[in-house]
Amino acid sequence: MSDNHKVIGRSVPRIDGPEKVTGAAKYTGDLKFPNMLYGKILTSPHAHARIISIDTSEAEKLPGVKAVITHKDVPELKYGLSPARWDENIFCIDKVRFVGDKVAAVACVDEETCYRALKLIKVEYEVLPAVLDFRHAMDEGQPLVHEEYERNINTEIHQEFGDVDKALAEAHHVRTDVFVGQRTYQAPIEPHSAISMWEGEKLTIYSSTQSPHYFQYYIAREFGMPMGDVRIIKPYLGGGFGGKLEPTGLEFAGAVLAKRTGRPVRTFYDRAEMFAHNRGRHAQYMEITTGVDKDGKILAAKANFMMDGGAYTSLGIASAYYAGALLPMTYEFDNYQFDMFRVYTNLPACGAQRGHGAPQPKYAFESHLDNVAADLGIDPMDIRIRNARRPDTVTPNDFRVNSCMMRECLEQVREMSGWDEKKKNLPHGRGIGVATGSFVTGAGYPIYRTDLPHAAAFIKVHEDGTAATLYTGSVDIGQGSDTILCQMAAEAMGYRYEQMKIVAADTEITPLDFGAYASRQTYMSGAAVKQAGEEIKKQLLDMASTMLSLPADDLECEEGVIFSKSREGKSLTFEEVARKHFVLKGPLLGRGAYTPPKLGGSFKGAAVGTSPAYSFGAQVGEVSIDEETGEITVVGIWDVHDCGKVINPRLLHGQVHGALYMGMGESVWEEVLFDDKGRIRNAELANYRLLTAVDMPPIQSEVVNSYEPTGPWGVKEVGEGATNPTLGMFSNAIFDAMGVRVNSLPLTYEKVWRALKEKREKEETIAA
Amino acid sequence: MYMPDFEYHTPETLTEACALLDELGEKATVLAGGTDVLHKMKVGKLAPGHLVSLKNLDDLRTISHEPGRGIVMGALTSHNAIYTSRLLQERYLSLPMAAHTMASNQICNMGTVGGNIVNGVPSADLPPILIALNASIRLVSSNGERTMPLEDFFHGSAETVINQGEILADITIPDQPATGSTYIKFGLRRSGALAVVGVAVSVTMDGDTLQDARVVLASAAPTVMRARGAEDFLRGKKISDELLAEAGDRASAESRPRDSIRGSAEYRRNLVGVLTKRALRKAIDEGHA
Ligand SMILES: Cc1cc2nc3c(=O)[nH]c(=O)nc-3n(C[C@H](O)[C@H](O)[C@H](O)COP(=O)(O)OP(=O)(O)OC[C@H]3O[C@@H](n4cnc5c(N)ncnc54)[C@H](O)[C@@H]3O)c2cc1C
Repeated sequence: MSDNHKVIGRSVPRIDGPEKVTGAAKYTGDLKFPNMLYGKILTSPHAHARIISIDTSEAEKLPGVKAVITHKDVPELKYGLSPARWDENIFCIDKVRFVGDKVAAVACVDEETCYRALKLIKVEYEVLPAVLDFRHAMDEGQPLVHEEYERNINTEIHQEFGDVDKALAEAHHVRTDVFVGQRTYQAPIEPHSAISMWEGEKLTIYSSTQSPHYFQYYIAREFGMPMGDVRIIKPYLGGGFGGKLEPTGLEFAGAVLAKRTGRPVRTFYDRAEMFAHNRGRHAQYMEITTGVDKDGKILAAKANFMMDGGAYTSLGIASAYYAGALLPMTYEFDNYQFDMFRVYTNLPACGAQRGHGAPQPKYAFESHLDNVAADLGIDPMDIRIRNARRPDTVTPNDFRVNSCMMRECLEQVREMSGWDEKKKNLPHGRGIGVATGSFVTGAGYPIYRTDLPHAAAFIKVHEDGTAATLYTGSVDIGQGSDTILCQMAAEAMGYRYEQMKIVAADTEITPLDFGAYASRQTYMSGAAVKQAGEEIKKQLLDMASTMLSLPADDLECEEGVIFSKSREGKSLTFEEVARKHFVLKGPLLGRGAYTPPKLGGSFKGAAVGTSPAYSFGAQVGEVSIDEETGEITVVGIWDVHDCGKVINPRLLHGQVHGALYMGMGESVWEEVLFDDKGRIRNAELANYRLLTAVDMPPIQSEVVNSYEPTGPWGVKEVGEGATNPTLGMFSNAIFDAMGVRVNSLPLTYEKVWRALKEKREKEETIAA
Repeated sequence: MYMPDFEYHTPETLTEACALLDELGEKATVLAGGTDVLHKMKVGKLAPGHLVSLKNLDDLRTISHEPGRGIVMGALTSHNAIYTSRLLQERYLSLPMAAHTMASNQICNMGTVGGNIVNGVPSADLPPILIALNASIRLVSSNGERTMPLEDFFHGSAETVINQGEILADITIPDQPATGSTYIKFGLRRSGALAVVGVAVSVTMDGDTLQDARVVLASAAPTVMRARGAEDFLRGKKISDELLAEAGDRASAESRPRDSIRGSAEYRRNLVGVLTKRALRKAIDEGHA
C-alpha cells in the first residue's frame, strides 16, 4: 500500500529514550515515600506439606518489625487469573503446594530487619509426598495437589473438527512423533515490586504490572472494595513477557501490611523469589500425528498433549487451550483433533510466557513436518509453501483470518537466506532450518467476563495548542507502546510527534485498557487512540472552517498545519486553531474506545485463540555444529514477518530481535531445573543461561508489505509472533546439520553430542 | 539476599594485615575483590565476623619481570589487569587470553588472581594455565613466608594448604623453555559462563618432537589436576594427529569429573579428550596463544 502518512511509518526516537539511557527513569523499586516500610513474604521450604502451626511471636518482638501477617489476617477468598479456576489464597491455610508457596509476611523499617524477622517465624510442617513428575501426575495412587481435583487434572480439553480418522485412513502417509518441551522462565530484568498505601478507604498501589486494570479488578474483588477505591499506577517497567500479568501476592500482602501499619509498604521479590513465583512456560509432552497426500499436503492433524501446570492455575487454562488453538494457523487443513491434559504438580505455577502456549507446540509441529518432508523426499521449504494458509480463510477451529501473507513470508525468507543454494552446498556439520509462526493480535475476549471495551483513550490539546497529552491505560513494558501510540495520535490529529506527551497506565487518570498481553496494544489501544485523534481533528477543522470561511471538507491538517486543499496559501497553524477552540468552546478533547466484534465458534473453549487479526512469519536459521562437543554456533537468522502496517520500523525490528533472543534461549540454552525435593537448582542467572549480547548471531529482519483491513491503518501484531517459529527452526537446522533429531527442548550441546554419538554407534553396529 | 553483619578492616601494609589476621584468628576472612566472598555471604555459605580487605596493599597489584626469577605478579592483580598487561601479552599471551574467558567485565575489574587461586574451586580459570606455566606462589604470614609450586597448593574440593593467618602475596612464572601454551575453556554461552571443562597445556618443542608437555584440567576432578599419564605419554615423542588424540584419550581416562548442573560426567570426560587434543595442537602450532 502506498501511503502519505506523516508520522507513522517512521522510526521516531522513543519518547522515553532520554530518561532510560540517562538512568533518570524511575521504576517501582526506585520510588520512596515518607515513612515507607519494607515488606517480605515468607515462603514454604517444602514442595508439599501440611501446615501444623505458625508461631509469629518471636518475629513480632524483634525491634523494627511493624507487622506480621498470616492467612488469619487476610481474606480467605481464592484468586487466580483464569476465572474458571481461582485456586490461590493470599497465604496458604492448610497446606503448602510448592517450594515458594506463600505462608506469611512481615513489614519492617528496613530490608535487613525483614530477613531477620522471616527467620524468626516458626512454621511447623508435616511433609507430604509430592508430585514432581507431571507425566505421572494422573497415575493411580499419586498424592493430590488440590483435594478437589481428581487425578490432579486441572483441565482437560478434547476437541475434534472435521473427520480426523477418515482423513488419516485415506492419507498417503501418516506419521507420529513425540516431543517434550521444558519449563522456562521469563526472567525480566526488573524484579517484581509493589508499593501499597492507603488514604482512608482508598488503596493506591504502584506496581510493576503488565495490566493495571486486571490488578485493579482482582484486588478490588479480593478485598470486597469498589474498583473506584483501588488505584493502580504503573511506573517505568523493565520487562514482563507474561510474568507480570497477574497479582503476585506482593500486592495483596502489601495492601494488608499497609493497612495494618498505616504506612506505605514496599514489597518485592529478589531474583530467586522471582523464579519461585515463576508463571513461566509450561513443560509439555507433545504427540503429533499427521496424514499427508503424496505431495505433502496436510490432510489431518492430531495433537495429543499434556502440560505441567505446577501448583496453581494462573493463566494456565488459557495456555492449555492456546497450545492447540494456534496449531492450525500457518498451514491449511480441515481435519483437526486436539487433546490436552493440564495437570497439577508440586512445582511453581506456570502461566503465560511470550508466545503464550504456542512456541512449544510449534516446535513439535515444525520438527514433525520436517520429518514428514524427509520421509517423502520433499524440501522443507516446499512442503511449507504447499500448505501455507491463504488470506480470507477460516481455520478448522473457526478463527477467521483476514490478511495473511504466509506464502510471501516463506518465499521472501527463502530468497533472503539463500535457502536453495545453502540446501545444496552447505558442508557437513552445517545446517539450515525453516519454521513458521502466527499469533493473535490481541485476544478476542477479556480474561474475566465483561462487556467493557478492551481499550479506550483521551487526548487533551493544551490550551495554547503547543502540546497534546494522550491518556491511555495501555502499558509500556519496554516494547515501546507509549512511543507508537503517540505517533498514532499525532497522525490522526494532524499533529507533530515531538509535541505529544503521554500519561499512561494509571487507573485513576487514564481510561480503561486491558494492558500489555496477547500482543494487543498497537491494534486495540491504537484503534482507540486513532478514534480520539480523529475527533480532535474534526473539531479543529470545524473551527478552522469558521476562521477561514472555507468548508470543513476543503480543509486538511498535517503535521500541525491546517490548510485548504483547493486554495494555495490559505492556512493556519494547529496552535492558533486549538487556542481559538479553547477560548470559544472550552477544552479541546478527543475520545476513543475499541471493542472487538463477536469472534469464533460455539464449541467449548472456542473463545481462546480468537482475535480480530493474526500475524504470520517465517524464520530461517543456519547453524554450525562441532561434532566432537555438540557445541552449536548460530551462523545467521533471517526473519520475515507479516505484521500489517508498520508504525515504527526500528521498534518493530527491536521486537523481532527480542522475541528471537528469547526464542533462541528456549531453543538451546534455558531450562528451569529442579532437584528431587522440588527445589529450583538454578534460580539465578549463572546457571539459568540467558544469552548475552555476544551470543547473538547476525539477524536480518524484514517485513512483507501487508495491510490488515480491520486494524487502525492496517496494523497487526509483532511482539510475540517472532518467538513462535524459533524453537522449531533451531530443531530443524540442527536436524539438517547432523541428520539426527533431538526430541526434547532445550537442544543442549550435550544432547546434540549424545545424539551424534548414538548415531555413530548405531552405524558402527550396522557396519560390523 | 541478606548479608550477615561483619566488621570491616583495611590494613595499610602486608605486615599489618598479617598481624590483624593473627589477632582475629578464625573469625576473619581475607577480602580481595570480593566476587567469591560476598556471593558466599549472601547465599549463607559464609558468615565471617571480620573481613580483612587487602585493597590498600597496592604493592600486590603489580606485574613485573625480575631477571633470574621470571614474571612476578601480585596477588591483587585483577583479571582485566592480566588481560591488558603488555608484559604478559608479549611473553605468555595464553594467560591474558585465559583471563579474557572469565565472567563479565564488571567481575573482571574486581576479581583478582589471588582470589581465584585461594578460593580453590576446580572450575577456576587461572590456576590451570598458571600450573601449565609452572608457576609458584609465595605465602606470607607473621611467622615468615613459604614458597611452593602452585600445583601443590590444591588438595581436594575447594581445599587448599593455606593456613589461617597466611596471605598469598604473589605468583611467579619462571623463565622457561616452553615454546607454547594455551587454555581452552568450554562454557555453555560466550560470556558469563563457568567452565564445563577447561584444559591448559604448555609444550616444549624441539623440531617435531615434544620434549615436554604439561596438561592441566579444570572442572574435571574435585580439584584442578595435572593429567600426568598424558604428559608422560607425550614426552619425547614425534607429534602427529594420532599422538595428540591418544594423549586426549589418556587425559580423559585420568580425569574424574562428576555429574553436575552443567554437564554429565560422561560428557565432561569426552570434553577433556577433545579439548586436550585441540589445546596441544594449538600450543604446538601457535606458541603461547
Ligand atoms: C558473576 C560471576 C562470574 C564469575 N565467573 C568466573 C569465571 O568465569 N571463571 C572463574 O574462574 N571465576 C569466576 N567467578 C569467580 C570469581 O570472580 C573469581 O574466582 C575471582 O578470581 C575471585 O577473586 P576475588 O578477588 O573476587 O576473591 P575474593 O572473593 O575476595 O576471595 C576469594 C577467596 O580467596 C581468599 N583470598 C583472596 N585473596 C587472597 C589473598 N591474597 N590471600 C589469601 N586469601 C585470599 C578469600 O578469603 C576468599 O576465600 C565468577 C564470579 C561471579 C560473581
